[in-house]
Amino acid sequence: MGMGGGNRGGGRTTMSEINVTPMVDVMLVLLIIFMVTAPLIQQGVKVNLPETKATPVEASDKKLVLSIDAARKVYIGDAEVSLDELEAKLAANAKAQADKEVYLHADRDVPYGVVVEVMAAAQHAGIHNVGMITDPSGGGRASKAPAAKPKEAKR
Amino acid sequence: MKALLLSLLLFPLAALAQAPVIEISGANFRPLPLAAPAPVAQDPGAKKLAAPFDAALSYDLSASGIFQVLDRASFTADAKEGMTAGSINFSRWADVGAESLVKVSLAQDGGSLRAELRLFNVATGREDLKVAKDAPADQPRKLAHTLADALYRHFTREPSPFLTRITYVRKAGSNRDVFVADWDGNNAQALTQGGTNILPTLGPSGQVAYTSYRKNRPDIWVQTPGGEAKPLVTEGQMATGAAYSPDGKRLAYALAEGESAQIYVANADGSGAKAITDTPYGLNTSPSWSPDGKRIAFVSNRGGSPQVYVMGADGSGVRRLTFQGNYNQTPDWSPRGDLIAFTARDERNAFDLFTVNVDSGKITRLTQDQGNNEEPTFSPNGRLILFSSNRNGTPTLWVMTSDGSNQLPLPMDKGSWLTPDWGAAPASP
Repeated sequence: MGMGGGNRGGGRTTMSEINVTPMVDVMLVLLIIFMVTAPLIQQGVKVNLPETKATPVEASDKKLVLSIDAARKVYIGDAEVSLDELEAKLAANAKAQADKEVYLHADRDVPYGVVVEVMAAAQHAGIHNVGMITDPSGGGRASKAPAAKPKEAKR
Repeated sequence: MKALLLSLLLFPLAALAQAPVIEISGANFRPLPLAAPAPVAQDPGAKKLAAPFDAALSYDLSASGIFQVLDRASFTADAKEGMTAGSINFSRWADVGAESLVKVSLAQDGGSLRAELRLFNVATGREDLKVAKDAPADQPRKLAHTLADALYRHFTREPSPFLTRITYVRKAGSNRDVFVADWDGNNAQALTQGGTNILPTLGPSGQVAYTSYRKNRPDIWVQTPGGEAKPLVTEGQMATGAAYSPDGKRLAYALAEGESAQIYVANADGSGAKAITDTPYGLNTSPSWSPDGKRIAFVSNRGGSPQVYVMGADGSGVRRLTFQGNYNQTPDWSPRGDLIAFTARDERNAFDLFTVNVDSGKITRLTQDQGNNEEPTFSPNGRLILFSSNRNGTPTLWVMTSDGSNQLPLPMDKGSWLTPDWGAAPASP
């Protein structure tokens, strides 16, 4: 620690993470976020969903699903896209633009910063409703150990 | 030309067997979300021709008014995805909002270009249409129009506008020259070289009649495809506004003499001319035939200001059609019969386009706050209107649906383009 000289303050820590706080501020104003149940959503991308007790909205399988797998790869449907091109793809996507809503289908182990980046891309593309797909089957706490529940993802 | 005739022969039959029909008019109309990825070239020769082919096909589909052509930037399908239902990942097309998917492959074989088009229903994964067409390799746009026509017929059971021709005037310096071109303004040929040549009209057999000052007086001249220009109407002080009857056998026009201008109807060769209006001092101009050839819409200032009137083709039963505004001109009768499009000058001295329902007199505004918009002319199937607009500075040609939506500029080179007229049929020899 502190090897990277030039840090004032004696170089105790280096800030290497994206500061998501301003982004979250903006998004909380402009994004409508809600929980969605998983059963109707059939996805090609394999993720372990977070489990929640929150009362979810019944998912409509007609909405566009964005996935983030445990390796932090991002998908539109089952097509992998880079985070850089995600916003442009969503801005041009007639389905997402007509619905103004997408579902986010992210692995429970994906860092919060990555989730926020995907949500920010959606928000910049004009999509203001994001449904967070969760697994209500166990009703356990979201912080429960990953091994405690069977894998949700299919195929 | 062969491909064109072939499509006319084949497609009504093929289309009848199909279920899906897009009802173009009515409150429930919604453009069909259509994904049309770039055509796949099978060889280096086809690769060079793919760009003009693709441009023409994409424009036809976008301007048709029946499709919502999806932005290719959103597509997530594998670039190497195949042409057949079994090799297509339809969920990726559903994810970008597509309800139908069009795939085209292009192959060059010597002097000819072959295109194969397949249409898929994204929800069911079914192949709904498969068309293969050939065209000379130097006419990739023509081939694209032929395939777009097949698609249009499949969905609407009507002929498309994509194989028809238009005529218009180019203004360059002090010259006004008459051109004929494909419906999208491409593949254009100049019929005149310099001088003042205005107000062209395209007849059912491809002949173009226009007012020309080549003998230093405004007479109506006619030119058949590949032929020489011949004088057609040389009477009066000024002959303008030629319009062929839908059967091509008669010609209506306006002759100015002294203080007045009258509408005449003659045989198509100019013989047997007879005045069908008779107002001693008023101006009667801009005749336009009803699709059954029994009536003529025209402009007259007999009521004090230029307004659109309708009468029988023999001049009987004159009826005023427009009562709003004080300057209504250039009527064009829809080939469907129900509407007449016209240009109106509003209180801010801007010209805009309207339609009036021939039976009810109901007026519909088509353009607003977009510069001056003039000289409407209906497509032969009555679904589109071509017009001249100076919204981008110089006057250029634009197309829109007959209710004024989906206004697009024709994909033409830069220039000043005026007074379009949409012909009834393809100009084939």
